[in-house]
Amino acid sequence: MRDILLQIAQVLTVLILAPLLQGIILQFEERVQRAQGPGIFQPYRDLWKLFHKQVAVPETATWLFWVTPIVAFTCVLTVPILIPVLTDFPLPLSDMGDILGGGLILTLASFMIILAGLDTSSAYSGIGSSRAVMVAILAEPTLILVFVGITLLAKAMLPFVVNHLLVADWAAYMSPAHLFLVAAFFILLLVETDRMPIHSSTHIEVYMIEEGRILEYSGPLLALLKWASAMKQFILYTIFCNVLILPWGLSIRGTALGALGAAIGLLIKFTLVACVVVFVETAQSRLRFYRYQEPLAASFLLAVLAIVGTQLS
Amino acid sequence: MLIQNLGPLASSLFSLLAIVSLLLAFVMLGSRWLKNYLFAFAAESWAIAALSAAVGFYGGYPELYLIAILTLLFRGLLLPYLIWRIIRRLSVDREIHVILQPSTSLVVGAFFVMFALAISYRVAAAFHLELTVAVLALTVLLSMKMIGFLMLAVRHEAISQILGLLVLENGIFLGSQILVPGMPLLIEMVILFDLLIVVACFGALVGYLLTHVGSTSSLDLRRLVG
Repeated sequence: MRDILLQIAQVLTVLILAPLLQGIILQFEERVQRAQGPGIFQPYRDLWKLFHKQVAVPETATWLFWVTPIVAFTCVLTVPILIPVLTDFPLPLSDMGDILGGGLILTLASFMIILAGLDTSSAYSGIGSSRAVMVAILAEPTLILVFVGITLLAKAMLPFVVNHLLVADWAAYMSPAHLFLVAAFFILLLVETDRMPIHSSTHIEVYMIEEGRILEYSGPLLALLKWASAMKQFILYTIFCNVLILPWGLSIRGTALGALGAAIGLLIKFTLVACVVVFVETAQSRLRFYRYQEPLAASFLLAVLAIVGTQLS
Repeated sequence: MLIQNLGPLASSLFSLLAIVSLLLAFVMLGSRWLKNYLFAFAAESWAIAALSAAVGFYGGYPELYLIAILTLLFRGLLLPYLIWRIIRRLSVDREIHVILQPSTSLVVGAFFVMFALAISYRVAAAFHLELTVAVLALTVLLSMKMIGFLMLAVRHEAISQILGLLVLENGIFLGSQILVPGMPLLIEMVILFDLLIVVACFGALVGYLLTHVGSTSSLDLRRLVG
């Protein structure tokens, strides 16, 4: 019974805290650029505002346009069941899927959004979709390679096993294979959360990718998609922190107090990672658009080196 | 032999330094600016010098300290300084017409590393060296050699080519430090002077190219003269 409650708590944590993470990152970026910033709670206000607006649907849209936000939202709600968000032991439904399963569900969400972008036959969302595919073609094989590296490192496909291994074995944590995996996944994290160096810091502009795909949406549907993308970011941060780089601070026994502590720990860890992300995004100079392959090639290389490293240890 | 009785700390230190050198070779492969190649090369030489000193410390070869100092001075400071002087004399500071994009060459380099790993397993099995450090040293040696060859093949600025040659040589030196430490001091010194002469000759060649061809890119060397 308590495990089921914990599982619900995991999903709720992702659901509720995801806009806060988005807000923290955006606020930090503004502060780094010496602007005032809208405050860390701005994404909640945005969502509230969007849920109270009416929906305007393009005449060319089909049923796909309506289905996509719901499918995308459901997909990102499913993934927190599979990964260690609050507890470091598997909960009742956690064995539904392994790391690859989680990746598959997240990809399904972005696949639906890409289809919806093409569906409206608007020029801008079409461009956004084709660009998203262009990046995804390079990002997916690298993601799979990172997962293969994790699997070879921990000899298991479950994120909980990796977490236990890294907590227990300091040598495994410091092994080159693990460090390469962290670096490769960090680049993927930047790519998947739409922070490649080919973007400028404002998101609605000529080079938009993720924002371009959902340009035709409005009102509650847009709110669902924005929330889903914030949750996707939160989930990727969770995998990065709890499975790869900061595996400590999860609830071991699963008491209410432990889960609360884990949630607070999660926020602290995410703030640290967000600081690094903001630093990288600010310090990295903006590249020409057609150099988008370079970070992905570097990530691919690091993943390959990680796999080589697992073969050697 | 040294590598057959290494402590865990020593072997992880060796692996770390070898991997750092390999990563720096990849930095050279993935960047476009000649200055970045140069900095990466200097850093790589420092890593190798640190490796020599570490091998000398753990293996009890006092002459390796001398080699480490010489490596640091020659490969880490003097050669980069000489190449930097050549770069300053040139008007190019990056590869303009790339044959292989940096991202593509990174991916090709990744495949080279896998190939090198496959070969090293065979070689290590043939010499009964199934230790992690030995296989790693062989892998890094072979992959740095192949990265050097790749840089020689796909880059056509004179500076990139000499740096490719030096990376190739660094790879061999690194591997030999781990696999057969205690090579006679004289051979090491001869190699270092060889490198010095290579870079000096290259400086003269670059000056010649600049006056007679007007460019240091091998793409402009189309006419066969006897």
